[in-house]
Amino acid sequence: MRDIFQDLFNKVFGFFRQAEKEENAKDTAVNRLRVVLMQDRTNLTPELLEKMRGELIELLSKYVEMDKDALELNFEQEGNQMALMLSIPVLRAKDEDEIETENSEDSDEAEEKPEEENLDAENSESTEDTESSAEDTQDEESETKESNTNSKDKSK
Amino acid sequence: MSGRVIVITSGKGGVGKTTTSANIGTALARAGKKVVLIDTDLGLRNLDLLLGLENRIVYTIVDVVEERCKLKQALVKDKKNPNLCLLAAAQTRDKSAITQEQLKDICEELKKDYDFILVDCPAGIEQGFQNAIAGASEAIVVTTPEMSAVRDADRIIGLLEAKEEIQSYKLLLNRVRPNLIKSNDMMSVEDVVEILSADLVGIIPEDTGIITSTNKGDPIVNDDSSLAGKAYNNVARRIMGEDVPFMNLEEDRGVISKVKKFFSGLIGKEK
Repeated sequence: MRDIFQDLFNKVFGFFRQAEKEENAKDTAVNRLRVVLMQDRTNLTPELLEKMRGELIELLSKYVEMDKDALELNFEQEGNQMALMLSIPVLRAKDEDEIETENSEDSDEAEEKPEEENLDAENSESTEDTESSAEDTQDEESETKESNTNSKDKSK
Repeated sequence: MSGRVIVITSGKGGVGKTTTSANIGTALARAGKKVVLIDTDLGLRNLDLLLGLENRIVYTIVDVVEERCKLKQALVKDKKNPNLCLLAAAQTRDKSAITQEQLKDICEELKKDYDFILVDCPAGIEQGFQNAIAGASEAIVVTTPEMSAVRDADRIIGLLEAKEEIQSYKLLLNRVRPNLIKSNDMMSVEDVVEILSADLVGIIPEDTGIITSTNKGDPIVNDDSSLAGKAYNNVARRIMGEDVPFMNLEEDRGVISKVKKFFSGLIGKEK
């Protein structure tokens, strides 16, 4: 008997909590519109976002081992500001030796293909917008670090 | 006389550009202004239907451009209001039948004799749109509180801002449904204005009367009891420079809610 009551209570309580949390249709529309207009206005196309994602993975992989497929890069509304949110599921932070070797490998690579960098420079205009919200990205990053393994990384 | 050329545009189709053109034009003419409505939607003309003038069209804008008639011959006078006339679009031609220059010339010519030249723009952002805005110095961007319409309006605003000749543009929010806004199911007027950051020229409530008035070929501003008609009249007054407050749709919805209140009052008393 008690179980039934408890169950009922949980259901009712859960329903109200859900109703509270759930965004109404109007807010959903406003938020989705803001994001899509942001993209429309800056010409930051999904392809460019994808490119940015790829480059970020490349860069961050030097320092951490992460779940590349679960990495999320999205625009989100933060009050009046648009933020570029980067969520990185960190598997393991690399130690200094690993980072060193990665970096030296990378500098070799850079020498090998200077052409590619020129191509990137053309797109620098549209990536400027993202720099301004770099702080948000960092916040998000540290958040995920906390929730994941290896606190070793924090000391750096 | 040097008239004002105002283009009525939206990007998205079906948000009420033509209805808006017909009603603002009629309202301005009712206020004593001399008005020409130009339908630039070549191949998909509809403004004639909304005005009930479909059987009176002899020449179209393409006939004027191709010099088969004089501009004045192509202007069709409205049935009710001698101040209002229509320059119809050709139904059998496509958007390439006229150029931006030609439309500009027509507007310049009409400016001499009319107070207002309202250009009803086709949907889209291609040549038809470019033609329609060519002769205009002002624009009314029609949108509804729906995502797709607002997004397209944003695009149109971007294009209008890039066009030097357009000195000002205003937003007209059409098909507003106060009860949906109240229940947080629809974006509010404030939401849309904030997102698009543009000045408002009018808020038109959703009104089934629009359907019947279209069926009759008689713009709703001619019906003094209609809420949408009143709202369109207010838009016309604002265009003429009057400072008209935006009506409170909640309040005006009144009749029904008053009846409801009355009944709920009765029930309350019985108890």
